[in-house]
Amino acid sequence: MSSFGFGLVSAAVLAIAAVGFTMQFAVTNVLNLAYGSIMINSAFVTYYVNTHAHVTPWVATIGGVATGAIVSWALNRFVFTPFQRRNLPPITIVMVALGMDLIGTFGLQAIVGGSYVSFQQSQGSEYHILGMFLSGLQLTIMGLAVVVLVAIHWLLRYTRLGKAMRATSANPNLARNSGVKTGLVISMTWLISGALSGLAGTVFAMNTGVFEATSAQLYIVMLLAAMFLGGPGQPYGAMLGAVTIGVATEISAAYINPEYKEVIAFLVLIGMLMFRPYGLFGSEKTA
Amino acid sequence: MSAELSQKGQVLRAVNLSAGYDGRAIVSGITVEASPGKVVSIVGPNGSGKSTLLKSLVGVVPVLAGSVSVGESDITNVAPERIATLGVGYVPQVDDVFPPLTVKENLEIGGYLLERHLVGERITAVLDFFPRLKTMLSRKAGKLSGGERKMLAMGRVLMLTPSVMVLDEPTANLAPQVATQLLEEFIRGFADHGTTVLLVEQRAKAALRISDWTCVLGGGRVVLEGVPADLERDPVFVESFLGGGARH
Repeated sequence: MSSFGFGLVSAAVLAIAAVGFTMQFAVTNVLNLAYGSIMINSAFVTYYVNTHAHVTPWVATIGGVATGAIVSWALNRFVFTPFQRRNLPPITIVMVALGMDLIGTFGLQAIVGGSYVSFQQSQGSEYHILGMFLSGLQLTIMGLAVVVLVAIHWLLRYTRLGKAMRATSANPNLARNSGVKTGLVISMTWLISGALSGLAGTVFAMNTGVFEATSAQLYIVMLLAAMFLGGPGQPYGAMLGAVTIGVATEISAAYINPEYKEVIAFLVLIGMLMFRPYGLFGSEKTA
Repeated sequence: MSAELSQKGQVLRAVNLSAGYDGRAIVSGITVEASPGKVVSIVGPNGSGKSTLLKSLVGVVPVLAGSVSVGESDITNVAPERIATLGVGYVPQVDDVFPPLTVKENLEIGGYLLERHLVGERITAVLDFFPRLKTMLSRKAGKLSGGERKMLAMGRVLMLTPSVMVLDEPTANLAPQVATQLLEEFIRGFADHGTTVLLVEQRAKAALRISDWTCVLGGGRVVLEGVPADLERDPVFVESFLGGGARH
């Protein structure tokens, strides 16, 4: 049961990350493999604000979220968009994203070194809920994930921007013919999804306790598994995919070596691609 | 009914227009003008460049030479979202709705440029015009039948009270009865109210019935044009588009 509890916390972190990752892919058609490096860079900004400005990690998270938003926006504006304008094959953008991931991760390592760090933060009281032992911090992360997912649902379903994002994702030319400034919508998407990557990076680091520059390097596997499980470009699918992958990997870690967590996620991903390549929420057209 | 949905038109004019992809012209040297209250139809065989021509008028395909204007505004290579603000509504041949969005959300995106408090009012007006859509507001557009989908595509454009309507094969994949209603009742109705209508249509006979002027495209150029009555007397046109001796 405790594995299930850990799984829920991992799922909460993954859900925040996967929704942002999926939104980027859905609206801008970019498979941003640099997402994990933005997460960990944001976590380090939170860490430095936390330890140097002597504020709580939750207050310092503002720095991490802002970093994720600005770096993601800039990455799209100055790297991905120029490549997209040249009408290059999608694999080119994937390779560029992979390169940016390596630059982001190892560039960070060159700056901060290879040492593990941790936030100046208490884990909080321990609670015994339905047979699971969860810390106050873990419960806060889960609560935060619920708030974020509800907020994203509200954004996509009920706001003018959210509907424009979904319209741009479905048919960008028609959206433009309807008067939607898709360039602005895409910029807003990168800012919002980037903010989510910053938040995800920070709660990921909080949840692992200690972290270093390459801690999120394999996290992209979890993100891809969650996204493809739910259906590429389907934010609601990503939420469900994240919960499934998060719980499955943590429960498997209780019985198998925890080092194989990413392997389990990858097996789920491959299984999904074999039997239902468009995911649980997607359609054949979106696959 | 159309009085509430569209407005008095503006002249849509293309002069000596060449347009295409990657610098390669698909259509060349095209001059066409659509005036308020008139339906101008463009017919021609598949691959003659009809859709490319329309796309270049609404900013989707780059104009390589010549000019496009609506009213007094030069819209040559102007962004589609800017052209929409000038009252030009465009219904593409395919991908004419947002499939994952509901019918209501499609109409809301159609009214994206409206002030928020006007959107609901406009949706009501559009639904009064297409009452069949009233019962399916929460249905995803991707689940609609061909006819319903085309009504929604037209409804989306009507949300902005267009003065110019650019319609690319609006009757494609529709049952003959629905197609006739769409052309003769709705589209002709908009023009009769004063709206400018530029129409690409595969059903040449049906297009001629509602048109004031028709251009025939072949190989990316205008090969023949005139009022429908004259074209119906042209043996080459009759042979090519009206099925031999058929005239009606």
